[in-house]
Amino acid sequence: MDPQLLISGVIFGLSIGSVFFLLSIGLSLCFGLMRIISLDQLLYYAIGAYITYTLYLVTGSVWIGVLGGMVISGIVAFGVERFIFLRIYERDITFTMIASFGILFAGVGAIKYIWGLAPLPVPSPINAMASIFGTEIPIYRLIVIVISFLVYVSIWAFLNKTITGKAIRAGIENVEHVEGLGINVYKLFTTTFIISGVLSGLAGGLHAPLIMVDPQMGLEVLPFVFMVVIIGGLGSIKGTLVSAFIVGQVISLGAIIYGPLAQMAPFAIMLLILLIKPTGLYGSKMLKR
Amino acid sequence: MPTDEILAVEGLNVAYGESKVLFDVSIHINANEIVSCVGRNGAGKSTLLRTISGFVKPTSGTVMFADTSLVGIKCYDIARMGLKYIPQDKKVFSDLTVRENLELGSYATQDYNWDKVTEYFPKLTLLMERKAGYLSGGERQMLMIGRALLGDPKVLLVDEPTEGLAPSIVAQLQNVFLELSKKAALVIVEQNLSLVSAISQRVYAVKEGRVVHEISDEGEIKNNVCEKYL
Amino acid sequence: MVKLFNWSRGILLAFFCLLLVRVFLPLPFAIEIIIFATYTMGCNFLLGRVGFISFGQPAYLAVGAYATSFYLFYFGTNPIIGILLGILAGVAVALIIGPFFVRLRSDYFALVNLALAVIVFYLFEKVLASITHGDNGLWFLTNIASTPGLDLGVPSDFFIFVFLVAFGVWVLYKYLDDSIFGACCQATKTNEDKVKFLGYSNFKIRFLAFIIANTTTALAGSLYAVYFGFVSPEIASPSRAADPVIVTLLGGVGTLYGPIVGAFAYTGMKDLISGYISNWELFIGLLLVFIMLAGEKGIWGSLEPVLKRTFSKKGKPTT
Ligand SMILES: Nc1ncnc2c1ncn2[C@@H]1O[C@H](COP(=O)(O)OP(=O)(O)O)[C@@H](O)[C@H]1O
Ligand SMILES: [Mg+2]
Repeated sequence: MDPQLLISGVIFGLSIGSVFFLLSIGLSLCFGLMRIISLDQLLYYAIGAYITYTLYLVTGSVWIGVLGGMVISGIVAFGVERFIFLRIYERDITFTMIASFGILFAGVGAIKYIWGLAPLPVPSPINAMASIFGTEIPIYRLIVIVISFLVYVSIWAFLNKTITGKAIRAGIENVEHVEGLGINVYKLFTTTFIISGVLSGLAGGLHAPLIMVDPQMGLEVLPFVFMVVIIGGLGSIKGTLVSAFIVGQVISLGAIIYGPLAQMAPFAIMLLILLIKPTGLYGSKMLKR
Repeated sequence: MPTDEILAVEGLNVAYGESKVLFDVSIHINANEIVSCVGRNGAGKSTLLRTISGFVKPTSGTVMFADTSLVGIKCYDIARMGLKYIPQDKKVFSDLTVRENLELGSYATQDYNWDKVTEYFPKLTLLMERKAGYLSGGERQMLMIGRALLGDPKVLLVDEPTEGLAPSIVAQLQNVFLELSKKAALVIVEQNLSLVSAISQRVYAVKEGRVVHEISDEGEIKNNVCEKYL
Repeated sequence: MVKLFNWSRGILLAFFCLLLVRVFLPLPFAIEIIIFATYTMGCNFLLGRVGFISFGQPAYLAVGAYATSFYLFYFGTNPIIGILLGILAGVAVALIIGPFFVRLRSDYFALVNLALAVIVFYLFEKVLASITHGDNGLWFLTNIASTPGLDLGVPSDFFIFVFLVAFGVWVLYKYLDDSIFGACCQATKTNEDKVKFLGYSNFKIRFLAFIIANTTTALAGSLYAVYFGFVSPEIASPSRAADPVIVTLLGGVGTLYGPIVGAFAYTGMKDLISGYISNWELFIGLLLVFIMLAGEKGIWGSLEPVLKRTFSKKGKPTT
């Protein structure tokens, strides 16, 4: 294979994987702690992208847009958690999943209402190229990779070094015991949900210059996000990181080999992994709460 | 009733969905008293403790903790008020170190004085950096009880603390419970009758969701009268 | 005897309503509702009886539709054979993937199924483009031969045909519900261990339920194909993955009449609302959330207890 093609393919896969990772953390954390499958994270992803677009039009800076997208996504996530999830946390997981799907769907409708149906372009904030072993790589993609790596490190530090993070880790193991120590777990839930929403918004904002922003964008990445969390194992941050990059590489290298493989190969890998380990690479055999 | 009553449960009825588990249960605990609950598996002992500590909602009945009614209060608020439940399952946070487990015990009440834990369980000082998942059963139980002591609870509800533990550890726990009763009231669910007779001032016998007997005579307790309820 | 009478009365009542629909509403609308209800029955069974939520039903729908379409486009003309082939394809696919899927926990099941729908979509759109003609789809309306008795090419006859098919499927589910198998399904949903103790295999029960449900879905796909005389990858589109789930919930999970009521309400609303606002996602999404917050019982699920009460009051003197 042409080494130039290979290098740019790997970088492309890493950047896609980065976006998937940012987007999947929310799903994974929310499942781990609250035992919900929060499909509405895909809505915050779309919101992040759209706010990036709008703020770019207003201010002329994509970076301000991305920041604004994170803030707005976090606020919307907070509202959704307050008004919907807080009432249904106790329910069966399939039902919270349906409710979150409803939120996603309603959100797509609202986005169509506000921004219209047509795909919208967001320019890349940096057009410069870097040369890696003689291959020209867009610097923006490298920045996306670096940002997602920084997010991983910060999430790791948050979970391991702060008392809230430790409580969240404890809650992932056993919510009841955390409550038994006098800790208000609903505050932890809200914190986790907002963090997830903000990161999903970040994913959307960073992805926007690489794709066209359109109302269905959440639904379009949904299967890939699913694959990431399934392969990695629901509830595991490390698993999410590993599998996001696996899926990213499979998509981009698969596409080099044979076009349609890009969509099919991750699914085949997912099936294979589930066959060997039905709870994903790093997923534990957690019971329903 | 004496005036130093700290926990009063009256006419408690509890059901899981359709199936009723507790029927009209009333128990009273005085400050600094050790009271045991005995009964067969499935009698409803855990359910009783879990209802008192707010994890299960009763269908009717009252729970008074000192002068406060606990019914309808969130379990984490009850714990913070000084009524701690130590569950049966001996599940510490296995992914966290012993130190982190204790930190979480301190978090709610901001009581970081760990001397009161290590005073009873000196062994924990040596294990601080170990992941709790690697502790032995006895060490886990020490950690569970230890982290519950932070925040100076007034009542401890301990669910089958010696289940599956080595005799030497049971003996150690027995001393700890006696020491603890200087500071708090203890309600202990236990199958180990020698422990029950050694430390309890009173015993409630629970059978099929009802309190069928209350033994307060020391001689009767020492003579293992409760055996027939197991 | 009394029981038999009771439930046959129930069936008659429900389908009498459908006949009314036929009389008072346009034919395409009526046909669409019936096929949609059939489509939903599989999803309803999975969710209501086995506790598996599937956002991947379009995949199975497409399997049935494409099996029928390939036959009618490339090989034959008889729509009945086409439909039978669709059913066979449904069974075959369920047999192949079922063993992997039913081992999964219900949350993973939901995720994997949706992923499957995406794969099937790309499969028909891109990978098999040479035989599916990609997004252009396959047109074979003129290939469909007229059949003796009921001529499936004629909409009014086709209505009677789908009506009978839906009726048959419905009776099957009613029968399953009352059988030991139905009880086993319920049991795996609520308590896996108890099923094991009783000497049944969770795996086998789920596998069988999976086959039945997804074959029903494939059958609905075949009916769509014959009705439209056309199929395109759009039928597997993941963006429509929520349809059967929504209809199931709208009607009431696990109720027998739910799919019919839900399909009616959903199709009706869609037609009504899309007349006013172009994006009905907003509405459907809010409706879903509302159903969940309101206690997840759906239309039929909320009505049923009320009806039962009035029914039993009337019935009391006779029993
Ligand atoms: N979460 C629950 N849901 C339904 N039934 C339960 C639950 N927990 C306990 N039970 C039932 O309540 C009864 C009492 O259980 P429990 O309080 O654990 O008894 P004990 O601690 O005395 O062994 C048992 O029959 C048990 O099956
Ligand atoms: Mg117990």
